[in-house]
Amino acid sequence: AQARVRSAPAPVTDVARLCVCDLLVAQCDTNCCCDPDCSAEDFSLFTTCSIPVVVGDSQLCSQKAAVYSLDVEANPPERIFKLIDQVNPSIFCIHATNYEQALYFKSPEIPTAENFDQLLEKFGGATFSAEPDSWNLDTDAQNPPEANETSRYEYGAPVQTEDGFLRLPSPVVSSWCSDANPAGFLVNQATKCIRSVSVEKCDSIQALSMLFYINSSILASVFQVNITVQSIVVQSLNGTRTLLSRGEVLRLPMVLDELCINAVLGVNYHITHTDTGEIIEAAAAFVLGAISRETLSIEQSFKISFTQENTQPVPLSGNPGYVVGLPVRAGFQPQGYPSPAAFLFASLALSSNKHSQLTILHSTSTQDCLAAQGARAPVLFGYNMISGCKLRITAAMKCQPLAQTLLDVLKGQSFPEYVASFGNSQAQDVFDWVPITQLHISEQMIPHTLQSSCQIPVSLGIEVKWTKYGSLVNPQARIVNVTATITSTTLKQLPSGREKIIPITTSVVFTDISSPAEPSYKAWPTINIKLPFDFFYPFV
Amino acid sequence: NNSSQLSSLPLHILLYVNGVYYIFYFLATLAMIIYKSQVFSYPDDFLAPDLAVLFLMAILEVPRLYLGFKGNLTEAEAPLGLSLGLTVGSVLLCVYLLLWQSYVLWADVLLNAVLLAAYGLESGLKVMAIAAFVS
Repeated sequence: AQARVRSAPAPVTDVARLCVCDLLVAQCDTNCCCDPDCSAEDFSLFTTCSIPVVVGDSQLCSQKAAVYSLDVEANPPERIFKLIDQVNPSIFCIHATNYEQALYFKSPEIPTAENFDQLLEKFGGATFSAEPDSWNLDTDAQNPPEANETSRYEYGAPVQTEDGFLRLPSPVVSSWCSDANPAGFLVNQATKCIRSVSVEKCDSIQALSMLFYINSSILASVFQVNITVQSIVVQSLNGTRTLLSRGEVLRLPMVLDELCINAVLGVNYHITHTDTGEIIEAAAAFVLGAISRETLSIEQSFKISFTQENTQPVPLSGNPGYVVGLPVRAGFQPQGYPSPAAFLFASLALSSNKHSQLTILHSTSTQDCLAAQGARAPVLFGYNMISGCKLRITAAMKCQPLAQTLLDVLKGQSFPEYVASFGNSQAQDVFDWVPITQLHISEQMIPHTLQSSCQIPVSLGIEVKWTKYGSLVNPQARIVNVTATITSTTLKQLPSGREKIIPITTSVVFTDISSPAEPSYKAWPTINIKLPFDFFYPFV
Repeated sequence: NNSSQLSSLPLHILLYVNGVYYIFYFLATLAMIIYKSQVFSYPDDFLAPDLAVLFLMAILEVPRLYLGFKGNLTEAEAPLGLSLGLTVGSVLLCVYLLLWQSYVLWADVLLNAVLLAAYGLESGLKVMAIAAFVS
């Protein structure tokens, strides 16, 4: 009895004193009839009572209820407070309880000197659950799961290893890393979290060592799959990264020259699986770095990706319709298949390389067209974009090379010929690919200028027409038409020594050309009655 | 009717009615405990004693009624005395279910009150029957 120095304030259970709308301390809350801070004048200004009845658990057979109401007939309006006995007529009303916490929330334990350690152990981590034993990652307390349970993984199932689950540390409540996050099968994830480190504990913090991530092997069908080290990239203190040539050697963290080297800054897991859900290979690519003495915390990044064996992973932009924000997929018709018949069997060269996707010029800070020839941004479905640069023309520039350079700047190195109609169009289905229509418009500055004068392209406008396809409740976006319009303008010869600045623009516009949807109704079933052939036999 | 018969007819009727009523009482109380465990917060260490008391009472009831019938019909005071002793145990368990259960619903109060009344009346009739047999 002496151990309880102070206890939590006793919960208020008297309905006459309970007021849920009394939020402001020492001030009258509007329309709160039970607020003790309100005077009779305040009550006369209220319109209604926001809480008309304060009652305990209505399952009790008989209980007190505080009823608040406003008498608007009186002048001025006044508040009426009544304490009544509310009776629950049901035969299953609670007559009495002998169980303390039946009708009230449990009062939390107040930490004292005796129970502090136990409370800290239970609630001190970043997470705690009601049943901590079911998520136990200790090696000595774990029973290895049955072999036939791990043979096939389903989407989202945690990937099991010898001592628990494949860990992908991720931020849980705050940005601090929690090591108890399992990786789900076929769930490609990328997480970043912060871990507190110090050079003194360099070799004792498990999460900084490569072994922590590749130690246990993944359980899969009959054998276990070891996690191999695919590559190691070493990041120096100023951020430069170098790929190690012999990346298969395990490098453990150690202290060298007041730095903790070989600390894990990032892990990238690649898991290969069959089409029936069995894991056959696992590899991890590491980024190791150095921790200096002043560093108190580092950011670690983790990524996991799943690939089916013998396939090239092609990121889809939607399934089947395009998802807003994903890149528009484009491709080329391979050379040597000119005839339409052969075209049916040809496959379009798909682009997983982002430089042969549909891209537009990416505006840079220098705004100089000739300097920023490499920067391209992918065209994302649904996002209208505009970008540009400024071209400085001097008298010495020749027309034709300039026009060609500008065309390269506008269209990029490999402008695709076809755009996928759906987000998941396969290369084999040639009818799912829409050809890009190319138009040339020349702005005639001076109407009577001859064709031989210099025409340089100054703007590229890509217009993508898309429509809603499919059912009324779940329409899918489908690209119907893509038109790339190049606008050229005449370049007048400049007098020597002068220079001119011309703006070059690129734009992408997505237009919705879907026709209004018509709900259709199923036809009424018809009754099909036909008499048999020989119904009127004796007479016909 | 010959007045040399000492067996108590009201006791026999009451025992019979008690048997039928008890079956209904047991099923109703069990159903209500299941209902309470679904609707209210009923942790396992409060549920276990209540269920144990109910099943113990059911186990006691069978020999209690059998001994009562047998003692009354054979006009022997020993089985009737034993039945009276078991009745005391049943009364205690019934009082537990009436007052000290985790949740006592209004239906619980009614059922247990009726059962207690039946037990009380039965006990009185048994005492009178024993007195008649002994003397």
